[in-house]
Amino acid sequence: MTMAFEVFKQLFKKPFTNKFPVKYIPKSVTAAVEKIGKGELKINPPIEIPPNFRGKISYDREKCIGCGICTKVCPAHAIELIPTGKDEKGKEKYKAIFYISRCTFCSQCVDACPKECISMSNEFLLADTDRFSDALVVK
Amino acid sequence: MEYYELLFRVIILPILALGFGVLFGLTFKGIDRKLAAHMQARVGPPIRQPFRDVAKLFTKENIIPENSIPWLFSVMPILCLVSAVSVLLYTPIGSFEPILSGYGDLIVVLYLLALPAICLVIGGFASGSPYATVGAQREMVMMLSYEFPLAVAIISIVWKLSLVYPGENVFSLGFIMSHPVWNTVGFSGFIGCVIILFVLCATMPITLAKIPFDIPEAETEIAGGLLVEYSGKNLGLFYLADAVKTVAFASVVAALFFPYGIACYFDVSTTGGYVIDFIFFLVKLFVVIFIGLTFIRVAVARIKIDQVAHIYWMLMTIIGLVGLALIIIDSTGVIS
Amino acid sequence: MKYTLPIGPIHPALKEPILFEFELNGERIANVDVKLGHVHRGIEWAGMRRNPVQILYLAERICGICSVSHPFAFSMAVENAAGIEVPERAEYIRVIMAELERIHSHILWAGVAAHEIGFDTVLYLTWRVREKVMDVIEYLTGNRVNKAIYMIGGVRRDITKEQIPKVREAMDYYKGLFNKLAKVFLHDKTIKMRTEHVGILTREDALKTCAVGPTTRASGVPKDVRQDYAYSAYADLNIKAVTPDIYRKEVVGDVYDRIIVRLFEVKQSIQIIEECIENMPGGEIVSEPKIPKLLATLKKAVGEGIGRHEAPRGEVFHYVKLDGKEAPYTWKARAPTYNNVLAWIPMLKGEQIADIPIVAASTDPCISCTNRVSVIKGSNKYTLTKEELHKLSVEKTKRRMRNGIL
Ligand code: SF4
Ligand code: SF4
Repeated sequence: MTMAFEVFKQLFKKPFTNKFPVKYIPKSVTAAVEKIGKGELKINPPIEIPPNFRGKISYDREKCIGCGICTKVCPAHAIELIPTGKDEKGKEKYKAIFYISRCTFCSQCVDACPKECISMSNEFLLADTDRFSDALVVK
Repeated sequence: MEYYELLFRVIILPILALGFGVLFGLTFKGIDRKLAAHMQARVGPPIRQPFRDVAKLFTKENIIPENSIPWLFSVMPILCLVSAVSVLLYTPIGSFEPILSGYGDLIVVLYLLALPAICLVIGGFASGSPYATVGAQREMVMMLSYEFPLAVAIISIVWKLSLVYPGENVFSLGFIMSHPVWNTVGFSGFIGCVIILFVLCATMPITLAKIPFDIPEAETEIAGGLLVEYSGKNLGLFYLADAVKTVAFASVVAALFFPYGIACYFDVSTTGGYVIDFIFFLVKLFVVIFIGLTFIRVAVARIKIDQVAHIYWMLMTIIGLVGLALIIIDSTGVIS
Repeated sequence: MKYTLPIGPIHPALKEPILFEFELNGERIANVDVKLGHVHRGIEWAGMRRNPVQILYLAERICGICSVSHPFAFSMAVENAAGIEVPERAEYIRVIMAELERIHSHILWAGVAAHEIGFDTVLYLTWRVREKVMDVIEYLTGNRVNKAIYMIGGVRRDITKEQIPKVREAMDYYKGLFNKLAKVFLHDKTIKMRTEHVGILTREDALKTCAVGPTTRASGVPKDVRQDYAYSAYADLNIKAVTPDIYRKEVVGDVYDRIIVRLFEVKQSIQIIEECIENMPGGEIVSEPKIPKLLATLKKAVGEGIGRHEAPRGEVFHYVKLDGKEAPYTWKARAPTYNNVLAWIPMLKGEQIADIPIVAASTDPCISCTNRVSVIKGSNKYTLTKEELHKLSVEKTKRRMRNGIL
């Protein structure tokens, strides 16, 4: 019975749970999501993330030279090189495309990229019903 | 008895009792879950969650396993709920007399309290799953273990009352209600009563099969045991029966030990008095349920069936008998 | 009355699929058979089609909890095969990460064990306090679970001066918490009722079944890779295997002893982390920071290597054979639960049904990490004895030598 006193004390304390996004499940989730979109409903924020968090990939298309190193190190085969037409010398040019639904957020591509054109953002709320939705494909 | 009065007693009042049992049983379940969650530092479900659960279960289909005994399997949930509700017919609610006062007494209540468990056992055996069979065996062992201390506790009080009020129907809960046992005892009897109250509170989680005694269901051991094959409406009925039984048991405890009303302290009309007493009655139920169920179930681990048998056959019976002895000493004046 | 009760492959007491077939005598267990093979994921097969850098992340996902132990052992195996030196600072960071993992894994286990005996309050308590170490892990590596901090030849992220106070603060928090957890787990009446003299694994049985990790240490066998074959920075730290006699007078080998061992290992891990932070040398954190260069080296490398590490559940063992191609020729991972499967049998025999979950959980099993085979043709199962297996293996080697593969 060592917990007896402990639980009794806890009765008068605040719960530990972070009430993200809302305390109780709303009657209709889609309606609630719409409301949040319109700013009518406020959500409880998620727990703060530390600096250097590994979130959704962001990609600087301009800097990329299409070397393909990132595709070689990606353990999840989440990166594809897409030809984007020929340059002046007639050589095929490539750009990378990231499928976040496959990405495992290891950040190995970030480390490997010689041009430092990949980085990881703080974004982590990535749930979607479509694997290829705009939010989940980074070009 | 007039024709329509019979109708009233046989149909309307039991329906009212069912309504009361279900409404407050589920509410108390919700409160129990909420408070338990808070004690575990969680937010917990909203209080109306049990209502939603039941509503959802009732929209679902019953699945009857292939190697079960179908009629027995489907009849038991109903019987379980009926027997739980019938306990309510014998217990005073608020300051109302028991609906069936004069037709049965505490001994009947004692048996009726055991009936839902028996229904569960039969339903478990009928479902033909090894898990349910193990669960049913465990439930039977548990029933055998707590029955005796429970009987000792109840008999002690009634015996005491029968000494003080000879010639009355002391076994009727209505009578016990209007003649609190605390008023009749001296000092050692008082201690005896406290001990008996403790025994009664200790039999509460076991009668209702809650942690540390959720052995017949033991989700992590036998996957829900007795209830493993039940689904949909049948499971909903068992759920309701459990809720009603909780209220019924708590009101028996309340009637035995806290029979007081507070309406007499207010300057109100008779109806107002009924309302106040009813609310006070709910508070009493809450206290009993909180101490006997919610608090215990968050503070301990589940124990094993042989340990239960040991604790209840030996320890609780002895404690109960000590309580009884103290009451006897008190009333026969061996040491006064 | 004898009857059989199958538990699994899907059962609420089991977090992962495994099948126990119990022969019961009333509530007593007369005999038990364990069947694996329901979650074979072919992870090694996938690994043999990837380069070692990619495998690191695959190895991380062998186990959801030991997501440091497997890459640790794997990178040691590759370094061993390719002859790569790891900078000293990296070794210290590796050890700190491994010990943080041990803390979170043991606390997680404590919660699961409490849940198995129906003590959900303790589950919530332990998982609540576990958040602290998860936060530290997230702070140091960028993610809570899949740390992705190991790299062949070192680590990927440094622990900077600014980060150290936060780590220290968390360690102080756990030091302060130790007494509370000890009070709950070692003195609570109901926990004692459920764990004392339950699921006993004697010293002899522990040795005979080759159990590893806390399971064997709780039976009084001081077996710990960190002590016996000190590797990485552990060699500087003088680690002693924790056995239950540091708290109890005699070693029984029951579930209670396993609680003691894990609890005191958390304490030990805290000490190790503090010591590492204290003595961490400066310098590089990885031998080859340029990934393309590293990949080229690994591609050229030929050889075999092994890596063993004391994971929270016991020894993990990785074997790698590189043959001058991009992907390794072979990669074999052995998770600690594999060794502890057989230990279940002496533990469970003679116990009650009610003890099954807590005894099974007491080895802290990780079933999916263990499964390496899957029997798909259920109707023609056959059994191979040790001798037959050995004969098959010899035949295969001879065959391959004839064909010039080896
Ligand atoms: S973060 Fe890892 S998994 Fe995701 S795209 Fe980059 S390398 Fe691939
Ligand atoms: S490694 Fe960097 S530069 Fe090369 S293709 Fe990938 S994103 Fe582009």
